[in-house]
Amino acid sequence: MRRRAPAHRRPEAIAAYCMVAVPMLIFLLLNIGTFLYAAYISVWNWNIRSGPVDFVGLRNFERILGDPIFQIAIRNSIYYTVVWVPLTMAVGLFLAVVVNQKIRGQTFFRASFYFPAIASSAAITTLWIFLVAPDGFFNEVRGALGLNPLFQLFGFGPHQNWIGDRRTALNSVIVLNAWTTSGTFMLFYLASLQAISREVYEAAAIDGANAWQAFWRITFPLLRPAHFFVATVGMIGGLQLFDQAYIAGSPNGDPVNALMTIVLYLYNALFVQIRPGYAAAVGIVLFVIMFGATLVQRRLFGGTPAS
Amino acid sequence: MNAADAPGRERGQTLRRRLAYTLLLGYALLMFVPFAWTVITSFKTLPDATRLTVIPDPITLGAWEYTLSRLDPSVVVLFANSVFIAAAVTVTNVAFGSLAGYAFARLRFPGRDALFLIVLATLMIPDQLRVVPVYILFSSVGLTVGAGQYVAVIFVTAVSATSIFLLRQYFLTIPRELEEAARIDGAGFFTTFWRVMLPLATPALAAVTILAFQGAWNGLFWPAVFLSPDSDHWTLPLGLTLFRLTGGQGTNWPPLMATVVIATIPILLLYIVFQRYFVEGIAAAGVKG
Repeated sequence: MRRRAPAHRRPEAIAAYCMVAVPMLIFLLLNIGTFLYAAYISVWNWNIRSGPVDFVGLRNFERILGDPIFQIAIRNSIYYTVVWVPLTMAVGLFLAVVVNQKIRGQTFFRASFYFPAIASSAAITTLWIFLVAPDGFFNEVRGALGLNPLFQLFGFGPHQNWIGDRRTALNSVIVLNAWTTSGTFMLFYLASLQAISREVYEAAAIDGANAWQAFWRITFPLLRPAHFFVATVGMIGGLQLFDQAYIAGSPNGDPVNALMTIVLYLYNALFVQIRPGYAAAVGIVLFVIMFGATLVQRRLFGGTPAS
Repeated sequence: MNAADAPGRERGQTLRRRLAYTLLLGYALLMFVPFAWTVITSFKTLPDATRLTVIPDPITLGAWEYTLSRLDPSVVVLFANSVFIAAAVTVTNVAFGSLAGYAFARLRFPGRDALFLIVLATLMIPDQLRVVPVYILFSSVGLTVGAGQYVAVIFVTAVSATSIFLLRQYFLTIPRELEEAARIDGAGFFTTFWRVMLPLATPALAAVTILAFQGAWNGLFWPAVFLSPDSDHWTLPLGLTLFRLTGGQGTNWPPLMATVVIATIPILLLYIVFQRYFVEGIAAAGVKG
């Protein structure tokens, strides 16, 4: 088979190559190329100035998996992902269903629910730290509303330091990110909801289904591709948690590793301990975890909708 | 439904709908409360900052004066760095995204599908896997010191698969007849792209512009990687760490909140004016799933 373009189409091909040249070179160098380079670096004891020092094989990986701090980081990242993703999906889906109704002010509601997602993670995390500080807005409001006895039941005093206490730091970040990201998930779901034809619901109504039944029997199953997409995007984002932990917990993941995540651990290995080979190996481990989790999710949600 | 048949039920429904509507409105307003509280706090004194006073007592510009004149590096420098980096990243993403998007959507050339697959494959590679090799590569060519640091942050985010993908999908929806008319008039591929296709793709260009700007303006990871050692190169998100947040204790809140306001205002203004394109961009990025 002839693989070259026919003569009359050469100018078209040349124009096309000119148009894609720069992005493709950047992708090959900084994405595909670095993927292989990272694998290479990870089997060396590497000096940031002079390059490879000695070949260590898989020893970096052994050390990572044996490091108690890394085990904390993995546990935190997985706990965060497992709690945050379903929570944010549920809120996002709820908001999408609400905004998809024929209600007055639809555009206003959609714009409001997405609003917390527009600001930078650094700004919104800073704001959050202020709101949930010991003397902050949240503690003051619950005190004013007389809710303190309820919190006391769970062992939280009136001046609980939500983000500075190791018991509550990670959960505070989960609530923060569920709040900011639910608007984004709402928009993902909304695109799929609008594609479901009204006739399906009319048929269900004739069969006597109420709104609650229609949601669980029709809407929810038909959204299966959207669930898969949102869950995958969420999981990938969750395992990459960095910004909030970096702002709230500094590169150390304070308090006492409560906010130590896989990516923060990698950042530390590269810029605090200055061990590039080790840090590259952490990147590979993260990639393997993400890839494996995506495959598992494809099993759970993937395939054709069951209807 | 006929109200005369079931007046009680009808009234119950109206009541329920009102209640639901009120709850919804309350939740929507709740989305703005934290930001409003930030603005209010920026006009407070430190002792007043931890009290639930809606109107600052006393109202002071002290925090703003502190933020605008006492930060090191100055907030003006932080702002300028953020603008420079975000503008550069936006321009490269729109330029490369539209050119490559057009080529992938419309032109026929050997290897097109394979190259497009590579574009999509980059979405699978997390930034954290790239960071070590990219850092080593850039430091070997002097991009981790001085002004090179800006180049490093811009270079690593200069093109994105999302920009190319969004624009390609949009170009695919434009009828071919419009291009063919231009072609018959003797226009070349670049002229057709520039004169015919680009003007027709305004909504997609707007969405990509906003997504790219928002991503670059708000970004923390790459600035933290490349700009950390030299605070004169910091962006606003990095500048927020100047206040040394230690679990929320002993922090000078009012100037910090003023800095949060400064870091958020540009995006907020964009959102108010171009809300539609934010929403469409996110929704379109989601459809690829």
